[in-house]
Formats: sequence, C-alpha cells, structure tokens
Amino acid sequence: MPQLLDESLWYKDAVIYQLHVRTFCDSNGDGIGDFRGLTTKLDYLQELGINAIWLLPFYPSPLRDDGYDIADYTSVHPSYGTLQDFKDFLTAAHNRRIRVITEMVVNHTSDQHPWFQEARSSRDNPKRDWYVWSDTDTRYQDVRIIFVDTEMSNWAWDPISKAYYWHRFFGHQPDLNYDNPAVRQAMWEVMKFWLDIGVDGFRLDAVPYLIEREGTSCENLPETHEIIREFRQRIDLAYPGKMLLAEANQWPADVRAYFGNGDEFHMAFHFPLMPRMFMAVKLEDRKPIIEILEQTPQIPPNCQWCIFLRNHDELTLEMVTSVERDYMYDEYAGDKAMRINLGIRRRLAPMMENDRRRVELLTGLLLSMPGTPIIYYGDEIGMGDNVYLGDRNGVRTPMQWNGGWNAGFSTADPERLYSPLISNPVYGYQAINVDSQRRSAHSLLSWTKSVIQTRNAFRVFSRGSIEFLNPSNHRVLAYVRRLGEEKVLVVNNLSNSAQAVELNLQMYKRHIPIEMFGRNLFPRIGDLPYLLTLGPYQFYWFRLRRI
Amino acid sequence: MAEESFLADDFLRQLMSVGEVDLLVGIPSHNHASTLLQALHCVEETLRQNFVRERAVILNVDGGSTDDTRKLFIESSERRDVAHKGLTSLRTIHRISVEYDRSPSQGLALHHIVAAADLLRARACAVVSPGTTNLTSNWVANLLRPVYREGLDFVAPLYARSRFQGLLARDLLYPMSRAVFGQRIRELYSDEWGFSGRLATQCLEKEVWQEEAMRARPEAWMAITAIGGGLKCGQYFLGPKPASPAGTSPDLVDAIRQTVGNLFWCMEINEPQWLNRSSSQPVPTFGPDHELSSDGVPASPEKIFDLFRSGVNELEPILASILAPETHAQIKAIALSDRLKFHFAAELWVKTLYEFAASYHHSVLNRDHLVQALVPLYRGRLYSFLLEHANSSPEVMETRSEMVCQEFERQKPYLVERWTTKH
Repeated sequence: MPQLLDESLWYKDAVIYQLHVRTFCDSNGDGIGDFRGLTTKLDYLQELGINAIWLLPFYPSPLRDDGYDIADYTSVHPSYGTLQDFKDFLTAAHNRRIRVITEMVVNHTSDQHPWFQEARSSRDNPKRDWYVWSDTDTRYQDVRIIFVDTEMSNWAWDPISKAYYWHRFFGHQPDLNYDNPAVRQAMWEVMKFWLDIGVDGFRLDAVPYLIEREGTSCENLPETHEIIREFRQRIDLAYPGKMLLAEANQWPADVRAYFGNGDEFHMAFHFPLMPRMFMAVKLEDRKPIIEILEQTPQIPPNCQWCIFLRNHDELTLEMVTSVERDYMYDEYAGDKAMRINLGIRRRLAPMMENDRRRVELLTGLLLSMPGTPIIYYGDEIGMGDNVYLGDRNGVRTPMQWNGGWNAGFSTADPERLYSPLISNPVYGYQAINVDSQRRSAHSLLSWTKSVIQTRNAFRVFSRGSIEFLNPSNHRVLAYVRRLGEEKVLVVNNLSNSAQAVELNLQMYKRHIPIEMFGRNLFPRIGDLPYLLTLGPYQFYWFRLRRI
Repeated sequence: MAEESFLADDFLRQLMSVGEVDLLVGIPSHNHASTLLQALHCVEETLRQNFVRERAVILNVDGGSTDDTRKLFIESSERRDVAHKGLTSLRTIHRISVEYDRSPSQGLALHHIVAAADLLRARACAVVSPGTTNLTSNWVANLLRPVYREGLDFVAPLYARSRFQGLLARDLLYPMSRAVFGQRIRELYSDEWGFSGRLATQCLEKEVWQEEAMRARPEAWMAITAIGGGLKCGQYFLGPKPASPAGTSPDLVDAIRQTVGNLFWCMEINEPQWLNRSSSQPVPTFGPDHELSSDGVPASPEKIFDLFRSGVNELEPILASILAPETHAQIKAIALSDRLKFHFAAELWVKTLYEFAASYHHSVLNRDHLVQALVPLYRGRLYSFLLEHANSSPEVMETRSEMVCQEFERQKPYLVERWTTKH
C-alpha cells in the first residue's frame, strides 16, 4: 500500500466518503447494491479525490435498523456478496490509496444474534449475562429515551425468559453487558477478525452507552472509558496505524473525554458543529459556529475531530438548545414529514433549496475547517431525498449514476430495487446523476472534485491550527489556518447578499494573498484593514505568501 | 459641491458591518457610565428572551461623554446565560456606538438613530434611556413588540404614578396634545418609546432636525409626525415611573421650556394637521391606560402659591401681551384671592394655554420668553390642583383629569380662532 508522509496519522489527512454498500451499485441485478458493484465504482471515488471510505453495516442482519441490528459480526450479508467479495473490494480500494473504515456496532446486537438467542433461552444459559436483564422495568429511571418517536421505555419484556432486557435504541436491539469480561473479549475477537483482513479502522457506534449504573444517566461513565482504553491498547499493540472513530452524540466537552490522553479514540464526530453550520447560513451570522468552536476543547496531538454536513441518519438536533431546535425545524423542516426523533431527515441539496451557492459554501466550510471531513454519498452531485419513505430511508436511496435504467444503479426491474429511486423533476436521476455532471466542467461534481483536490494539496487544512478573525461584519466568517509557514486565509460570506468586509491582517503584513482556485494574486496586505467584497454565499481561500 | 452628511464615515462603516436588521434599540447617553451597562444588559436580555431569531442592533449615540460611557458600551462583553452551555441568542446582537457631538442633544441623538434605522431597514425600534433606573427587559420588549408584531408605528409608554407625580403631563401636555392632535396618547414626552422603521424613514425626510425645539425633546414630534402621516400609534403600560435621581431632572422652568415649548412648536409646524380636527380618539392600549397609586404627598404648596402670585405681578406687562384682557384680568383676580380658597378653574386654565399657544404662533414676543412666562401660571394651576386633591382618591383625580381633557376639547374652536386671527 502506498505510504503517506506520516502513516500513523493518516486519518488526519483523510477525506472520508460515507456510503452503504446497498445503495451504491448492484452488480448482480437483484436490486440491492453489493461489494462487487461497489468495487466497480472505486475509480469514480478515486477520481473524486476522497482517500477513505466509511462503510455502513454490511453484516448479516434482520435489517430492522438498516444493519445496525447485527446478527453475525464476522460475515457479510448475503445480499451484499460474500466475505471474499469484501476482501476483493478492500484490496482494490487499497490499490487506489483509499482506506476502508467499517462499522463496529459494539453497544448492542440484534435480538436475532445467536448470543441473544442463547441468552434468552434460559436464565441459566452461560450467555445470559452477556446482556442486561432485570425482573422489573424500574431500574435506571434517570436514563433518557433516544428514539422518542418509537420507544416508550429502555426496557423490553422478553416473553421467553420472562424478564426485561435493557436497550438504549430499538427494542429489537438488546444492549450488551460490558461488565462481563467475556463480552469484551468476544468483541475484541470480532475486531481482530476484520483487522486481520485489512480494514483500516472502525467507527464504533453508540459508545457512550456501553455501561449502566444506577443513579446515573448511563452515558459517558468512567467504566466505558476503561473499556475503550482496553480496546485501544490492544489495537496499538497488535495493529498499529489502525484507527478508532467514536460516535458520541454529545457536547464537545463530554466528547473530549473519549480522546483520553490520546489513548482512547483517534477521532470523534463533532456533532454540535454540524447543525450550527446550517444555522449560521440560515441566520446569516457566524455566531453559532464561533460559539461552538470556542467551547470545543483542545484535543491530544494524535487526535482529530470528524466533521460532516449530512449522513445516513437524521440531521440530529440533540446537541442544540430548544430555541435552536425550533428554529432549525421551522427553517429546514417546515413539512412535518421531514422530522424524525430529534432531527431532520433530509439531504444537503434539498435543505439548501438546490441553491448551488449554498451547497458550495457549506462544502467549502466542511473542507476548510479543522477536522477530517466526511462526505455523504450522493451529496457531491446534489442528490435529493424522499421524506415519505419512512424512518431515515429517504436519505438512503440508490446512487444516481446516469439518467438511464434505474439510474445506472441496477439492471433489476425497478419494482425490485431495495428502495425507490428519487425521480422528481428537480432531484430525480434524469436531472441529477454522475454521468451528466462528469460531462460538465462546471457541474457540482466537477466543483467538488476541484475543492477536494485543493484541500488535499495543502496539509494546513488537515493539520493546521485555526485562528478566527473577528471582522465587524458578522455575516462574514473568516479564519486563518496555519501549519508552520503554510498559511491559508478563508473568508466566507454566510449571507444571501453581497458583503464588504475589512479584515485585520496585520499579523500577515506584506503577505500576498493568492486565491487558491484561480491562483490569482490579490493586493498585498498593507497597513490598512484588508478590504474584500464577496457576492452572496461566496467564499475565498487564499494562500498567504511572503515573497 | 458635494453635500455634507451628518453621518460620520466611521458610523457608516459600523452600519455597513451590521447590515439589515429587524430590530434596533437606541441608547442615547451622556456621562452615563454608572448606569449604562444596566441598560445595555437589559436590552440584550430583551433581545435574547423575546426576539431570539431576529437580527438586532443596539446603538449607543453619545453626546460627548467624558466618563468612558462609550468605552464601557463597546468593550463590555455580552452577559451570557450559562443554562445552555453558554449559548444564548441565535444571532449576534450587534453593538455599535457613535459620538454625534461634543455636547448632548436628544434631537441629534434621535437623528442618528432614525438614520441608522432607515439605512439598516429596521422594522421596529426603541429608544431607552440609561438614566431610567428601573428599566426592565419587559419594558424594552413591550415597546418593540407592538411595532414588530402588531404593526404599530409609534408606541408611547404608560407609567404607574403616585398621585402627585407627572402633573405637568396630566394637567397640560396630555390634555392639550389630545385636544389639538386628536389622539389620546398620555405620555408624549418620555425617555422610552418605540417606533417603526417606516416612521423613522418619514421622520428622516423632514427638515426639522436643526430646530432648537428638537434639541431637548424630539419624541413628541415623532409621535405627531406619525399621527399626521396617518400611521398607527399606541401605548403600552410599562410600570412605575421612577423618580429621577436627585440633580438629574430638569427644574420646572427647563421642563416647561423643553416640553411646552416643544408642544407649541409642534403645533406650529403641523398646523394643517390639526386645525380642522375636532374631538379625540383613543389609541390601542396594552395594559391599563393609567394607574394612579394613593401614595405621595404634595410638597410645599404654600411656596408654590407665593411664586404664582409674585410671577403674575412681575410678569404683568408680558402676560398682558400674551393673554386676552379678560383672561389676564381673571388671573390677576385669582392671584389676589385668599390662599386657602384659591381656585384656578379648568376653563380658565385651558383658555390661558390656548392664548399662550396662539401668541407663540403669532410671535408676539420672543418665543422662549413667552414659554417661560407660563411657569408662574402653571404654578398657580398646580397649587389649585394640590388644594383640590390633597385628600382625593386616585379615582376622583382621574375623573377630574378626564374632565380637564374634555374642557380642552370643548374650547378647541377658541384655540383655532385665536390661532388663525392675530389679535
């Protein structure tokens, strides 16, 4: 595999592409995407410029939660191919300098998993203690319910063993009992299995909820961190260079603990930043972004935040105030069908009302702020959603490759597809697809390639510090990224109208700003505040060079 | 030759940075370092609690403070609500400051505020005074909300007062302005009020900003401009009006010069608006339209009477040039009456005021001197009021006040006659 400059920190320089194998490309015409199909699309992903793929769960599963209800951790769901198909895909990705991150749903299994089937079979079964059981449903009363739309309690009654079992998510997803060393060992064996095959890292799902203790919220408990440290230690010893990514939908100060002293997770999602980027653009005010980043603590040097705009879940509004949530609902989810749980089930382009300028602005923010960016499949071409499909399936529709049969996704009859295609006149596959956008140098796809290419060319974006400028015009968000002598000035107009802004760049006096996409020189920075004008939603990236 | 703008470049630069807003709150100041932050935080709290989504700016217009008022305004940080991890209002609450002159002028301050409101296309604005010691976030919200949400163009405050507080407003300014301009706005002269961006734009276009009468009390002119422009006015009950801190309230002579002088001037420049208007209409009122408490005692009424009597004597030639002979004679007669049986009747009071207004209009003498000549007569009326109501209940006093208002309306044809005919 080609070597990066600092191999062990590869995740800091990554641009991650998130996809579900089911959604991407169907090679055998059964209407469901598979690994063979995905492998045929690796050239496209390489061309896009991403260098890591995050795969959503592809394991055998009853698929009652889109694969997050795993019934077998060490195999591939037959709909997606075989384990050999996965290995072939992995090799092909690595050959293209693309790393692969897989899902590790550690908190819970499907109720169809053999572990749970054994555990519920009798109270004396050796696996009984692999899950959390109770004769009453009154324990852990301080714990919130996450899926408020569907679940009334975190306890579910098991009629077979006549006891309640604990579940933080759906009732068909019993939580594993991490107080049991056998569970920790079993999960480590699962990780080893995939690491031996060659995966480059895991996204650990729902990590704050591993441990339960009476009188607490059962989130972020010290014992949970002990378990993470144990996994990390084992990985560092046996599989150096592999990466752990935390899914902890918490405030930055709480997530900070998951980095430990650089001995827990390598990366963690910055959940609260995401809705605030959307909020800032709608409010036309940089305040939400600045505020949340001001509250974001420093992390160890070997760690990195993961940032994203959209993903396979709803746009979560758990990490906002109720006032902010109401605002987001009103502005981005006027139709109640767009809302689910505490969030919004929409894709990037429809949320931006298909306004190319706003899509580009947000993508520009994603790629220029500190952290490893994640691009959700289809957002690079401006795919739409279908909020009437139920659950979050509206943002998990087939990838739109061309304007032909089934959007080029599958040769199956359309009725057989795992999900209907987006077919409306605005976002439908006839209008929005990879092939047509490949043909235009000015398409969103071409633009996205160009901006990723620019980011990849300058390590300051992935590893540099950030210093916010504080121009009096609050519609403008400006910051300087800096890594050694490499300096990049980023100026974003968050508003729908032209703006003038004066920047205090005295620290960079005599530097020449060079616009990074057109490589044009701008006037040298002098004694006076640096005046820039920006069109609606326009942004600039400047290299600051002292020549 | 390019025309000079009264707006400084730096102020324009600040406005440019703020951009379009929904709400603007102006805080005129002059050496208010000790109380400014309280007002500022109160306004910020208003915006955070009531207008969390709106684009807002707080504008400090300063008349040459020498006590760091502006520095405090600019440099103090926004007080944060820690309940939500330090997150507060959705948007930046902009804060800008300008020194409009080296000496204070409410008119110049307001000129800058309405110019900012116009340029920033503010929908609702309020002016609050950092000198108001019991300003609350509710006050500010109640001035902004009827404009922003109910579509009013001018919102005057209503205050709860003790029986003998605010008599100049109750016995002169309110009944006379009500009779003249036809709208029942009780507090035309106040330190806090709200107005719309639309009204700000209309006001900005008027060529009155350099007038002396605008210097101290421009707010009534703004309300009268709204009435004249057919815009909607209302009033909002705010609560108890605090007594001005010692040494900060103008003495009676200044108060009358600033308010009555301004009222006469407003009548002068808005003559077509009111000459043919008869009767008055209530305006939308939020909360009780008045509230008198039974506390408060009149101060030194005997001294007031003495000042009335000596004033009538000393100013006899001046009063003779202002008043009709019979009015003058009646005043001289009551000035000679027994102190304990003294009575300055509402009918005479109204006639006196209307004759003063007409004489102001006809410039029978220096207008400032003319207005000052009203001071002893007001003292006489005040003394009579205090005698009459020493033991009256608030309800009785309010009934009598309404009768005074009706007397002003009844005699309005007399005002029109005196106004249009030089005697």
